[in-house]
Amino acid sequence: MQLARSNQTNRLDSLTLGILGLGMVGAGVGFILAMGAPPDQSQGFVARIFHMHVPMAWMAYLASFAALGYSVAYLVRRKAHHDRVAAAVVEVGLIFMALALLSGMLWARPTWGVYWDWEPRLTTTAILFAIYVGYVVVRGAIEDPELRAKAAAGVAILGSINVPISYMSVKWWRSLHQTQSIDLTTGKINVDAAILIPMLINLAAFTLLFIGLVRLRSIIAAREAAREEV
Amino acid sequence: MRHLFHPGSLRRPFTFCTQTDSLSPVQRIFWLAWRDLVLEFRGRTGILSAVFFLAVMLFILAMAFGPNPQDLQKAAPGVLWVALAFAGSLLAGRAFGLEVEDGTLDDLLLTPGSREWIYFGKLLFQFSLLILVGLVLLLLTAGLFYLPLQNWAWFVVVLLLGSLGYAAISTFYAGMLARLRGREVLLPLLLFPLVIPVVLAAVRFTQGLAQGIPVAELSDWLRLLAVFDVIYVTVCAMVFPYMLEG
Repeated sequence: MQLARSNQTNRLDSLTLGILGLGMVGAGVGFILAMGAPPDQSQGFVARIFHMHVPMAWMAYLASFAALGYSVAYLVRRKAHHDRVAAAVVEVGLIFMALALLSGMLWARPTWGVYWDWEPRLTTTAILFAIYVGYVVVRGAIEDPELRAKAAAGVAILGSINVPISYMSVKWWRSLHQTQSIDLTTGKINVDAAILIPMLINLAAFTLLFIGLVRLRSIIAAREAAREEV
Repeated sequence: MRHLFHPGSLRRPFTFCTQTDSLSPVQRIFWLAWRDLVLEFRGRTGILSAVFFLAVMLFILAMAFGPNPQDLQKAAPGVLWVALAFAGSLLAGRAFGLEVEDGTLDDLLLTPGSREWIYFGKLLFQFSLLILVGLVLLLLTAGLFYLPLQNWAWFVVVLLLGSLGYAAISTFYAGMLARLRGREVLLPLLLFPLVIPVVLAAVRFTQGLAQGIPVAELSDWLRLLAVFDVIYVTVCAMVFPYMLEG
């Protein structure tokens, strides 16, 4: 039984490889299309970072929801698998979140003139980043697997619930004191079909990469757990 | 129940009190909080060190923001809540610290009935401590930072709501990390990102009060704070029993 299971987890399954391969091809195609897309009227070529930035930010929030789902599933069902997937989702999501923040800052410098602005979306993402760093640190600090899984699930659930709350509060914080500011959420880019299609392709490619990376990370985690058992 | 007041039995009241079954959940919550408060005040170290830490912190912040009274007054609401947040993270470890040191956490878990009351009891304890420290802090800030206290009743209201939101999260994490080594470092790391909305709303309301803006215009912040409190207390109470098991 032990052998059979560790054999199973010792092989990278073809589905994961397929998803990762398709995602990489898609990202390549998306990149070429994005570079071929016409430059933005007001921002020029700088706006092309949009094709990377939006899918990354989208993945970051997808990770937050997935982490919430798998953490609740773990607390209800108590299957180690759910805990491993939740951890993988958070780790991969953290990378996408860092990339989204970084690319956003690089984009903000030439367009808004500053690297950082206390805009609700930015602030909420930064808070979320801090929460998930805490998640990873907590996982590293606890050795007992069951205790670790429970504590991590608690952090993920509270953290995900905090996303809409902090978004709301930061939005209010801004709106009550700032009389006029650039509405970053609506007035960004007049999305044209020539820009939208590469963006959607990129979005699909990044989603596939996300799923593939999470699967890969979960398989590695499962292998580690199987090894610890032996 | 009278055994609770006997000094020798204070450390393990539930082993002396045999009819825990007959206690209603509300009574259990009250007795748990009462026991912890009595222990805290008899021990004195926790609460005293928190208060003196606050005093020293206020001195440092006052030096940082300069001797100009206008500047100090402008910084006062932020100082009040940042100081309370730091003191809260010091006190959060007290909720389960003694239980683990004395090995009474298992006794507490072994008492029949659901687990939510443990959370609510500890929450009540943390909340009372925060309120006490917060009131001292409010007076210190009023004195050192020229915070005008004409509307003192509203300051107390925002202190109550803000402390409840803070205590809800800090109690949850303190229970979750109770048996862990290095929890003193982990607790603030987990706690602070989560309490940002609570602190933000509380600071905004306090700032408005200090500037003399009528409460009717500020009541949105208070309502927001109340909504946060309800959400955090509910979610934490729901998830907490899972965290303590085993």
